[in-house]
Formats: sequence, structure tokens, C-alpha cells
Amino acid sequence: MSPARVIIAIILISVGVFFSIVSVLGTFRFKFVLNRMHSAAMGDTLALLFVLLGLTVISGLSFTSLKLAVIIIFFWIASPVSSHLISNMIATVDRKKVLDMCELIEADNTTKENKKEQEKELK
Amino acid sequence: MEQILDIFLPVVIAIFIVLIFLCLIRALKGPEISDRVICVNMIGTLVIMIIAVLTVLLGEDWLADIAAVYAMISFLAVVVLTKIYIGVYREKHKEDENT
Repeated sequence: MSPARVIIAIILISVGVFFSIVSVLGTFRFKFVLNRMHSAAMGDTLALLFVLLGLTVISGLSFTSLKLAVIIIFFWIASPVSSHLISNMIATVDRKKVLDMCELIEADNTTKENKKEQEKELK
Repeated sequence: MEQILDIFLPVVIAIFIVLIFLCLIRALKGPEISDRVICVNMIGTLVIMIIAVLTVLLGEDWLADIAAVYAMISFLAVVVLTKIYIGVYREKHKEDENT
């Protein structure tokens, strides 16, 4: 194995480890549920991509790297779907909290209601 | 140069194991059920990465198949958990509205 390949693989794998550490710390630091879900989804996609790319660089052109590529492709399809399902669950279960966090939406709705009431009063 | 990899890959596995324990702490601490589902998802991803690193470290081809199957099962687990929890929540809500 040539030294250049080893160095490239080590760099790629350490980038992946960095992203997974960031995503785990993000679940501790963020205060809102949807933000935590966002950082977890980032770890799912980016960290897995970089770690498996580094491993394919190590194993070279072989059947193992083909299998690792299949895992990458499957995960890049499945992980956004699973994070979409989780966010769907959050939106149905604590709808009030999500709306409270999205102050802009709530403010927009209240102004619309106020305008409607004012229009009714004018009529 | 392969000796460097023999030292580097076990260190990567050790870091992932520490991260799995942090995820478990987060799942115990999490105030809502969605935190726990997120942690299940993250632990699945970390285990897949550990199995993939072991594939190259031990030089065993079939471990990659196990990682692929594990990815599918962890995806299925998240889908089933979210669907069941949404269904249970809607049923409870209907009962509250009726009473």
C-alpha cells in the first residue's frame, strides 16, 4: 500500500470522526428538539460518507469497497426519510411547542386574526 | 505504512464507542420521546460505522454484508417506532375529544 493512499484514508476517516463528534455534541447543546434532530441527521449522512470513503480508499478496487458503496447509497436514501419521519412525529405530538418556537408563524397568524376581526368590526 | 493503520483504526473504534455511551446518556436524559428515537437512530449509525471499520481492520468480507443488513434494520426500527407512536397519540387524542 502506497503512503499517499494511507494518508488520504486517514484524513478522510478523521473528518468523518470529527463530524460524528460534532453531531453528538450538538444533541447536547441545542435547546429545541428540531435543532437536535438536524444535528443528528448531519451525523447520519456526512460522518458515514467520510468514514466509508476512507475505508474504500484503504481496501482499493475490491468486492469490499463495492459493498461499502452500496451501504453509502442506501444510507443516503434512508437517512433523510427517517429524519423526515421523526420530524413528522415531533410536529404531530407537540404541535404547540413547535408553533411557540416558530414565533414568526404565530405572530403572522395573530396579525391575520386581528385584521379579520377589525374588518368584521368595520362591517 | 500499514502499521499506522493498525494503530489508527482501533483508536477510531474507541472514539465511536465513547460516542455511543454519550448517546445513551442523552437518551436517558431526553425529556421527550422524540429525543429517544433520535438517539436510537444515531446509535444505529455509529454501530454501522464500527462494523465497517472492523471489516477493513480484520480483512473479513462478510462483515460488510452485516453492516448493510444492520442499516436496513435500524431504518425499519425508526419507521415502525414513529408510525406506532403517531397512531397511539392520535387514538389518545380522539378519546380526549370524545370524553
